[in-house]
Amino acid sequence: MINLDGVFRREWGPAVAALARWSGDLDVAEDAVQEAFAEALRAWTRDGVPDRPGGWIVTVARNRALDRFRRESARTGKEFAAVTERGDARMEGEDVHPVRDDVLRMMFTCAHPALDGASQLALTLRLISGLTVPEIARALLQSEAAVGQRITRAKNKIRSANIPLRVPPVELLPERTPHVLGCIYSVFTEGYWSTAGPSAIRDELCDEGVRLGGELCGLMPDSRDAQALAALMLLHDSRRSTRVDESGALVPLDEQDRGHWDGGRIARGLARLRAAEGATGGYLPQAVIAAAHATAPSWADTDWALICAAYDRLIVVADSPMARANRALAVGFRDGFEAGLAALDEVADDPRLARSNTVASIRADLLRRAGRRQEAAEWYRRALALNGSEPAKAFLLRRVAECGG
Amino acid sequence: MHYFALLLSPETDGPVDPEAQSAEMAAYQAFHAAAASAIRGGDALLPTATGARITGGPDSPSVTDGPFAESAEVAGGYYVFEAENLDGALELARQIPAAKYGGVEVWPMADAATPVPLEGANWLALLLEPPDRPVTPGSEQWQQGVARHVEFGKAAGEHIRGGAGLHPPSTATTVRVRDGKATFTDGPYVEGAEVANGYYVLSASDRDEAVKIASMIPATSVELRQLAGISGL
Repeated sequence: MINLDGVFRREWGPAVAALARWSGDLDVAEDAVQEAFAEALRAWTRDGVPDRPGGWIVTVARNRALDRFRRESARTGKEFAAVTERGDARMEGEDVHPVRDDVLRMMFTCAHPALDGASQLALTLRLISGLTVPEIARALLQSEAAVGQRITRAKNKIRSANIPLRVPPVELLPERTPHVLGCIYSVFTEGYWSTAGPSAIRDELCDEGVRLGGELCGLMPDSRDAQALAALMLLHDSRRSTRVDESGALVPLDEQDRGHWDGGRIARGLARLRAAEGATGGYLPQAVIAAAHATAPSWADTDWALICAAYDRLIVVADSPMARANRALAVGFRDGFEAGLAALDEVADDPRLARSNTVASIRADLLRRAGRRQEAAEWYRRALALNGSEPAKAFLLRRVAECGG
Repeated sequence: MHYFALLLSPETDGPVDPEAQSAEMAAYQAFHAAAASAIRGGDALLPTATGARITGGPDSPSVTDGPFAESAEVAGGYYVFEAENLDGALELARQIPAAKYGGVEVWPMADAATPVPLEGANWLALLLEPPDRPVTPGSEQWQQGVARHVEFGKAAGEHIRGGAGLHPPSTATTVRVRDGKATFTDGPYVEGAEVANGYYVLSASDRDEAVKIASMIPATSVELRQLAGISGL
């Protein structure tokens, strides 16, 4: 038995995207490529992997789709002729792999603003990343039925409401591109900051977010914000292996083993960051913050002035209570912990943070560093009572104990 | 492809500033001029106080007079657009003045409505169904419904000036514009409320006749609202 996983990962998205353009229908595309992969498993085990596996997959998938059109009585006569003619005209003379534009088209369709965020994410993971419904359900901690329903509903909306399979016209790009970036970032964040459940990190989603970010940079070379997003994900991801200890508890940044940060990812992230200069969105300042941490020789030698300036910039371009709360922690390191607590007070009562443990965690950390251990223990306990993943809770429990609570 | 756009906003009672009102009219006229090639119909609706809600279907219709207190936002107008795809329809919807203070629901239509010029008094009949029981176009249930609508069509005859079935609520998109920025929401304006799955435009000599015709419509409930007759579309 040969291992098709690598080929599958590389070829699934482009093949589905090519078939979607050719047939104009996501279901037809998905089913046909699925069948082609099943066929590949049989044929390649027998004959070996062809020179251009992508082209092989697309050709076989197209033939399967044609078989299906012929079988379905509804698509006889003129409509069938139109589909095949159109398809042949488009496919002819085309080097089928890699079908770059098709993947970009799919990214914009899956992240269409008329689809809610959860649907965009599920659709992207299914149609572009090639995760199966059970795999997506496991990764997102949802039931298979819920994920399956969400994907079916989204595909039905794309068909019924006629959401176009295209890269939007130039005048719509400034408005639509952030949705694609946001969707890719959510693939990464779902993996990197899982908000619930036993595992702190879902490696598959982190890898896929980074991969999609890199792919988007290639597809939209002029987008500085895409570069900034790719930089942000690479720089965060460089710390992935040091974020959790053997017991499964989260390890805070200042206790992570910097020697084990992934130097390759940091270098790639910094290169992306240089290419991102001039980006206007919120990813650039976040990437600058991540880069400041990634390049600091030690926690003590971190450039807090630079980090505070980046938070100030972030609040200008993409204000959020979460950004202001995190800025307060950075202010604490730049100007002293009392100043940090004062900055935190300014945002602490924001109702949008009421269900998050962010404010309580940051307040506890500032109090602990200021030597006010009893108060710190109290706030760590409050943070524990709010939402959080198991690894985050394990970390907070450790802190409560350290503070004598 | 045809799209049905339902304009939703808080209903204002009490005196309206005449200056604001004429500015609003001018904004709509500007929209009509800009979107003329895509607009296939539409009008403002008279206040809900003059409308009626009919429940129970043709067999046992029960009529409630407006206003209907339960929702903060009410339908204030509608358009039928013809657009190449949803992007085209959303571009039109965001230009509607009501999107700036309320919201516009954009529903893909299951079939294209042939525009008929309107004369005299006309009513919009919105066919409402519970959101958990949407009928998918093309399904068997839909086909049965179609047969009943054909019957209604025979009975109502020339009173029907337009109408179409809508795709299920999961295919709708709500457009709001705030501070010049458009946001899109997946689904209808209000979650969980009764949702439209079709509409008719009915002509009638007076309200009583309109209620009588609308009572024959095969739907769980019908919201009947008189067209203001001011759009000139």
